Amino acid sequence: MKQHPLCTDTEQCLGVMDLAVPPELKREWAALQTRRHFLGRTGKVLGWAAMASLFGDRALRGDAHAPANGQPGTQAGEQLKLPHFAPKAKRAIYLFMSGGPSQVDLLDYKPNLAALYDKDIPDSVRGAQQLTGMTAGQARFPVAPSHWAFKRYGETGTWISDLLPYTARMVDDLAIIKSTNTEAINHEPAIMLMNTGNMNAGKPCLGSWLAYGLGSMNDNLPTFMVLQSKLNTKENNQPVSSRLWSSGFLSSEYAGVGLRAAGDPVLYLTDPNGVDREVRRNMLNAVNEINRQTFEELGDPETHARIAQYEMAYRMQISVPELADLSKEPQSTWDLYGPEAKEPGTFAYNCLMARRMAERGVRFTQVYKRGWDMHDNVTGILPIICQETDRGCYALVADLKQRGLLDDTLVVWAGEFGRTVYSQGGLTKDNYGRDHHPRCFTTWMTGGGVRTGVTYGETDDYSYNVVKDPVTVRDFNATILHCLGIDHNKLTYKFQGLDQKLTGPVPASVVPGLLA
Amino acid sequence: MSGSLLLLPFLVRLDGRPHADWQQFLGRFHPLIVHVPIGLLVLVPLLEISGVFRPALREAAEFVLALAFISCLGALTLGFLLAYGSGDTGTGVTHHMWGGIALSITVLLCLLARPWWLLGNETRLYPATLAAMLLVLLWTAHQGGSLTHGNNYLTEYMPVSLKRWVALGNLQANTPGADTFYARHINPILDANCVACHGEGKVKGGLRMDSYELLMKGGKDGPVIVSGHPERSLLLERVTLPADHKQFMPAEGRPPLKPEEIAWLKAWVQQGASPTATTLKGIFIQENAKEAPLKPVGDYSGMMSEILQMESGQGAKLLPVSSKPSDGLILNTVDVAASFGDVQLAQFQKFSPYIVEAELGRTAVTNASFDTLSKFSHLRALHLEGTAVTGEGLMKLAPLSQLTYLNLSGTKVTAAAVAPLDSMKSLRHVYLYNTPAQPATAADSITQPIAKTAQ
Repeated sequence: MKQHPLCTDTEQCLGVMDLAVPPELKREWAALQTRRHFLGRTGKVLGWAAMASLFGDRALRGDAHAPANGQPGTQAGEQLKLPHFAPKAKRAIYLFMSGGPSQVDLLDYKPNLAALYDKDIPDSVRGAQQLTGMTAGQARFPVAPSHWAFKRYGETGTWISDLLPYTARMVDDLAIIKSTNTEAINHEPAIMLMNTGNMNAGKPCLGSWLAYGLGSMNDNLPTFMVLQSKLNTKENNQPVSSRLWSSGFLSSEYAGVGLRAAGDPVLYLTDPNGVDREVRRNMLNAVNEINRQTFEELGDPETHARIAQYEMAYRMQISVPELADLSKEPQSTWDLYGPEAKEPGTFAYNCLMARRMAERGVRFTQVYKRGWDMHDNVTGILPIICQETDRGCYALVADLKQRGLLDDTLVVWAGEFGRTVYSQGGLTKDNYGRDHHPRCFTTWMTGGGVRTGVTYGETDDYSYNVVKDPVTVRDFNATILHCLGIDHNKLTYKFQGLDQKLTGPVPASVVPGLLA
Repeated sequence: MSGSLLLLPFLVRLDGRPHADWQQFLGRFHPLIVHVPIGLLVLVPLLEISGVFRPALREAAEFVLALAFISCLGALTLGFLLAYGSGDTGTGVTHHMWGGIALSITVLLCLLARPWWLLGNETRLYPATLAAMLLVLLWTAHQGGSLTHGNNYLTEYMPVSLKRWVALGNLQANTPGADTFYARHINPILDANCVACHGEGKVKGGLRMDSYELLMKGGKDGPVIVSGHPERSLLLERVTLPADHKQFMPAEGRPPLKPEEIAWLKAWVQQGASPTATTLKGIFIQENAKEAPLKPVGDYSGMMSEILQMESGQGAKLLPVSSKPSDGLILNTVDVAASFGDVQLAQFQKFSPYIVEAELGRTAVTNASFDTLSKFSHLRALHLEGTAVTGEGLMKLAPLSQLTYLNLSGTKVTAAAVAPLDSMKSLRHVYLYNTPAQPATAADSITQPIAKTAQ
């Protein structure tokens, strides 16, 4: 009978595994011996088969390519024959504005609205749309023109709100998409749809698909990292959960690794007192050996994922402190990102970290900023959150550009939906609220593969419906994948009897107008 | 009879001048009628072979062959009327004509040899003639097809790899003095729109436009280009007529020239129709599509075991750009940057024909590596940011004709060291942020956005 290396118990007894029966029967027995494994595996049998073929490929390639510590390599892209074509962008940074930024007040300029102040928006515009419970009962839907003036900027003469003076400086580098639209009207389904292509939980997110499809460019940091920005309690913060960076049915190796906004970026990353690196290594070797035995017995690929994660954490003990050490940044960095970038967890700090991760070969970084959900007091809150984010966005793009990273880094700025042109609650000359609005919202992209200095798509005079070149969430994600060299129809994974993909079963198309 | 066929071209000479309209009217039925003998001729060997199993089919072959011969003569006559009537000349036309004549003769020979074959007197002559006839048919039909659709119709969309395999010459467009405006912009317009009828293969109206000299020489109605005078140039007159005008060019329903193409032609004629001018006043053409063609990268799949061995020994990786080996490899050193120096880089030199991008940012490489890098002939992007290079020896990179991206941010390069980079034409993205050449200053700190146009 096999013995675990850490086990000192010497009790001897014969188990099924010691009997002279064919090995495949032993395997079957091992797989069936616990109800938990049985239930777990019946649900996963298809994905399991696909994984098995994946590992099979690895085995064919021999051990030479596996990293020194022996766990399976993370270079999935080679097995999957990816990228499908030479990509313009090798990596991406996604600035996620959770809560739904108001396109009417920021990027979708509607000069005619001023004259329509407090007039009801015509029924013909609103149509038979079902509203949220928050405004469905309203007797009136009065137009709330933006409180802020817009000006034209850049060679392209793009209209940008006074709230975004820094974004205004880079309009010539952006592809601004005014016609993004979604099917979900509430936060959770909408944010899931943006991130995973499905309103229901359980599907892998964009970052996981990229990690699975393209693999890692470095061994010492995760392929997919998530940075959450500190909460500002003045803002209405909708929850952001790890479902958004989950790998769904893909191996948990491909899930996003979050860095905390305050304190240690990764909890328990530093060794406890009395444990030095060598002890840690010995312990990991033993744990890996146990896990390897478990894998041999049960064949569950998640075991490999677990081994890989232990090893990654071990390497991150060195790489993360280096990543988070900003002492060598030149003064020009602070001049660019602003003084708040020195404070861990601010949006500006996260933007700087995103640049540092891009330099260190992190494939996909997602920065979350919560607080864009403004059902009331838009004039009170919107300037605060714009002030928190505007400079960081600009600094990141400008920094990537001056360092020569923007050529092969895709940067995306988006929320999960837009906001209504009509006021939620009372409308006064000085203040108003805005409800969720799925039919149109404004997003932007820049960097590798993106056509710069374009405004794509148009909305009607009320910033309510898309009238030209609509971009669905599916199209949006298909376009992101395209910039990274992936054909969204070909990056699939068999699960529950379907070839699952990020863009889902409804046809999606890459938006050529956004491509360089 | 064969003799009279052979004499035909000498009796009726194609003189390059259009003749009676009725000839052209009838002649234009040639492309239609010509398919009758083709179909029949292909049928003959089929009937002969299947006659082995069903003798009735072989009996029919005689009739089909005779019919084919008659239709051959018909098509030949119409072809002559077309060429003579419209005044078409050129090697393509003559080839096609001789092909047609040769075909008619071989069909006649088949007809004569067949009775012998049936009697068993001469068993090989007929099958041989039949085979020869099919070859002549194939060649003639191809000549005819090239006349209607243009010479490169069949090969235009052939995969590049296949083209290379069949070694089709002039893969690089034949652009003499490739840097002139004529070679880069005028010749391609004419090639795409005019040369099918005004080229070596077919010479309508005595005009050829496949070279500068021939274009300037003009056709039977005189020159088509009057330098400095687009309004008196026949070429511009014809392409700017209303599309339904009888004399509109390109003729026969082909798509008209694009407005910008007409504008370039006009400007070129206006400014002297020079064969050597490189730029024109007032004409700026974005030449993204005209970047120097990328050097194809060889297939490295055969070297995988060597590559893997190198990777495991070195820690640096060679990542494929895409699933297509011809897109090349990226040398990725991020995991071992601190220990990756000149020696390690030199070890990768044997893979240099496959490496299109070298990520050497923050590695320990020094100026000494420029020697090694100068041999990475397929390099398109080179990252040296944050390294100890100072720019000494930088110009050893000059032979890298594919290099478009060079990142020297955060190094000690000086303005003087990078100035000669201007001579590297392919180099379009050079990054010098935070170097003595381009110090990072507080100028980056932005206080007030600048509104270009106030509301």
